Amino acid sequence: MSNINRRTLVKGSLATMMAGAAFSRSAFAQSEPILLGVSGPLTGPNAQYGTQWKQGFDLALDEIQAAGGINGRKLAYQFEDSQSDPRQSVAIAQKFVSDPRIVMELGDFSSPASMAASPIYQRGGLVQFGFTNSHPDFTKGGDFMWSTSVSQADEQPLLAAYAVKRLGLKKLAVLHLNTDWGRTSRDYFVKAAKEYGAEIAVTEGYIAEERDFRSTLVRVRDASPDGLILISYYSDGALIARQARQVGLKQTICAASSVYSPKFIELGGEAVEDVHLGTRYFPQDPRPEVKKFIAGFKAKYNGQEPDAFNAYSYDAMNMAAAVIKIGGTDRRAIRDAFAKVKDVSSVIFGSATFDVASRRVKGAMNAELVVRNGHFVVWDGKPT
Amino acid sequence: MSSWLDYTINGLIVGNVYALVAVGLALIFGVSRLINFAQGSIYLVGAYIGWVAVVQLHTPLPLTIIVVAAAAALVGLIIERFGLRPLQNSVRIAPLLATIGISFVLDQLVMLTFSPNPRALPSQLPDVRFQVGGGTIGPLDLLIAGVGITSALLLFVFLRYSKLGWAVRATAQDRDAAMQMGVDVNRVNQAVFGIAAALGGVSGMLVGMYYNQIDTAMSLQATLKGVVAEVVGGAGNVPGAVVGSLLLGLVESYGVAVFGTSYRNLFAFLLLVVVLVLRPNGLFASARQAPPEPLTGTFIAPSRPVRIPRWALAVAAGGFAVLPLFPVSFYVLQTLINAWLLGMLALSLTLVAGSIGQVSLGHAALLAIGAYTSALLSLTFSVPVGLAIIGGGLMSAALGTALISPSFRLRGHYVSIATLAIGEIVSLVILNWESVTRGPIGISGIPPLSLFGYDLISPTSIYWFSFAVLVVLALLQGRLLTSHLGRSFRAIRDDDIAARAYGLSLNRYKSLAFIFGGFAAGVSGGIAAHLYSYINHETFNTQQSILALTVVILGGLGNVVGAILGSVALVGLPELFRIAAEYRILIYGIVLLLLVRFRPQGLLGTV
Repeated sequence: MSNINRRTLVKGSLATMMAGAAFSRSAFAQSEPILLGVSGPLTGPNAQYGTQWKQGFDLALDEIQAAGGINGRKLAYQFEDSQSDPRQSVAIAQKFVSDPRIVMELGDFSSPASMAASPIYQRGGLVQFGFTNSHPDFTKGGDFMWSTSVSQADEQPLLAAYAVKRLGLKKLAVLHLNTDWGRTSRDYFVKAAKEYGAEIAVTEGYIAEERDFRSTLVRVRDASPDGLILISYYSDGALIARQARQVGLKQTICAASSVYSPKFIELGGEAVEDVHLGTRYFPQDPRPEVKKFIAGFKAKYNGQEPDAFNAYSYDAMNMAAAVIKIGGTDRRAIRDAFAKVKDVSSVIFGSATFDVASRRVKGAMNAELVVRNGHFVVWDGKPT
Repeated sequence: MSSWLDYTINGLIVGNVYALVAVGLALIFGVSRLINFAQGSIYLVGAYIGWVAVVQLHTPLPLTIIVVAAAAALVGLIIERFGLRPLQNSVRIAPLLATIGISFVLDQLVMLTFSPNPRALPSQLPDVRFQVGGGTIGPLDLLIAGVGITSALLLFVFLRYSKLGWAVRATAQDRDAAMQMGVDVNRVNQAVFGIAAALGGVSGMLVGMYYNQIDTAMSLQATLKGVVAEVVGGAGNVPGAVVGSLLLGLVESYGVAVFGTSYRNLFAFLLLVVVLVLRPNGLFASARQAPPEPLTGTFIAPSRPVRIPRWALAVAAGGFAVLPLFPVSFYVLQTLINAWLLGMLALSLTLVAGSIGQVSLGHAALLAIGAYTSALLSLTFSVPVGLAIIGGGLMSAALGTALISPSFRLRGHYVSIATLAIGEIVSLVILNWESVTRGPIGISGIPPLSLFGYDLISPTSIYWFSFAVLVVLALLQGRLLTSHLGRSFRAIRDDDIAARAYGLSLNRYKSLAFIFGGFAAGVSGGIAAHLYSYINHETFNTQQSILALTVVILGGLGNVVGAILGSVALVGLPELFRIAAEYRILIYGIVLLLLVRFRPQGLLGTV
């Protein structure tokens, strides 16, 4: 058995080598598309996000191709399923680094999977462009790590201002996803809310698989806050809102932008009525880049409304195209080009420019929304 | 004070939800002595059939329930007929592994059909709420409670008073005797699987309505909670499963009340460990119940192991050792590094599960302990990486053995459930013990592998390093197994009563096995930590434990070479199927099923 195994292995690696040689010869042909590597979940518990990424990527690519591609060449991506598992993302990293066709990498989804692969990208000299990586240490992995994920240091004070200053909530209960993202966000939110004069009555962290929040909500009720803050994704956010209303909590609910999804309303039903959220884009936003994104998305996907993850991946692909336009197809030049791109049209940022020190984009747009009659609308300033 | 009433009501409500899964699990365990890891997947299938019925066909509630029950029962019958019946004469572990493979296949089929996005499953009951204490109860809560309790009662009556029920119980007690008395055992199994699957499907649908939300990742969590509830109540005991579920719900709810939300699951799994230690057969195991299955032959396939001549092994090892000298891509090397790391974990598990017979489903915890110890030693105390990894191994050996030792008196499936719980507990402690582990933020900036002051950064050097560690551990383990100590291990595995009568101290030998195994797993975790440079509580999860068990069974229990071969195969297969993208886990599940079907004793056989 071990003999057979070794033989297949050798055969497999020979095939890989020959394929690699063939590709490297043709990679320089102008007719071949410029290839990006994507490492993300297509199966496993986070599979839904990988599926959403693809939608955003494909829409952006359609537009880029229609506009003549990049200096006449098409842009394409190769999506490798990592299941957001660090074991697989490191293997994918080696695959991309040693494949001369790949000029830049996008992803991974979760922090463990992304940051486990970072040292390989850094040493291999291939840009790892993480667009959902808000972990504060992600871009500290090296000068090949860049991110358009909004730093929570940037976003959470805006949400705190909405809740405390605009909505006048003074005593808050914070429910947060107990992950690196949720924890970091919570800490920034709490700090800002206190600066604005609010009192934090209770904070409760829950794990991602949690479905039942009734007992948590009794704790919240006993702390008698006048507002609930949800640092959640849309699915758990909708669950908490439903159960809060079911157990009779009537306080104002304020949520982080990550609940912004048509699914939030579909899953939450009447319970998410009057939920307030700060978000970085919304369909009624008059900005042209948002209008174009939403119209394009609906046309391509049978009228489906895009959500935050669609927007991140759409922006990421456009940013990648802008960077490659400047840097060409040389990996090192692409890294340097991140510092040079200016004012790239972006759904999330309006126009995006990197802060070279943090290798992130600063200045996320923030719109203050509320759910009314089953739709996200701009908050009219009236208390609920 | 009124809050306690609310916590109690909430605990009972969520306990009801768990009961729906636990009853199905208990029924199957009662007859087949099988923990059906596919029950959560049937629950998932039921939820999505319910969605089709409600949202697309607009069926009224009674019809929805009938449609879901019938469709899920059909799935159960198919699983029984084609997945499990062919395995009825093979070792017990084969159907267990088959249910894991089936759950992969079902989950992936649902995901491919419906996309992984969560969907709303609207409740078909009016949304009125009755005030109870400080909270409210709705009709759906009552329906779930009604379905849980009624089905338990009906099953109880069925088992006690119907002819088929008698046959079921007779089969559960003694399969061979039942067959000799003319019981059609296959028909009994079919009936049980059909009933359990119908229940599982309906529960998935009801729970989906309850939360107005279904998604394709809900099956594993449902299985975990269902198994805990079932075992707390006494495996195979249907009313016990209901009580166990309610108790589990209450403990979780009170745990949240006292300690906060982030500790919730910690108390669920602690409850399980405490119950198993105090009452190894669960709370409601009656004296008349068949004794817990003897360990003899439970998991061990009687087979003649494939003996690979030493020269062939040496040639193979030499071949792998010189592989990086050839122009092999770094991707292949990295994949093999993953295989070597998994191989160390598999060596650890094949020793405890194979050689001494303590099946562990929580082995990833040992990786996590080793990884955190090594990372913190090198980061906080500036211990050289090489020594830190050894420190990680020692810590895993010590802590792992200490944690597992209360379960040494357990037998058969209960050991695997206890270790599953211990794995979850370690992960939750890492999440909550922020002052040491940095909680959900995880540990970043872990220094790279280094040896004698030289950083091992290139894939080639990491490859050689991890391969060398694996070979040393494998040689040590091979030596161990051929020694007197190794024979004592196998004596305990094969017949612990005889071994004890012969004067072997079971606990001492089991501890020795876990110490050696813990060291190998801890070293693997330590190397991984330095390789990844970032770890958090999710890096080493339940899926890793299940993967390790799969490797060990695939290779042949207790088989050192088999463990390594299995690692190469199971790391390599998903990579080979990478081209299939969304379909690759489906293919992986099917391959797993075929292997279990045609080679249940493992590729190289049990040693």
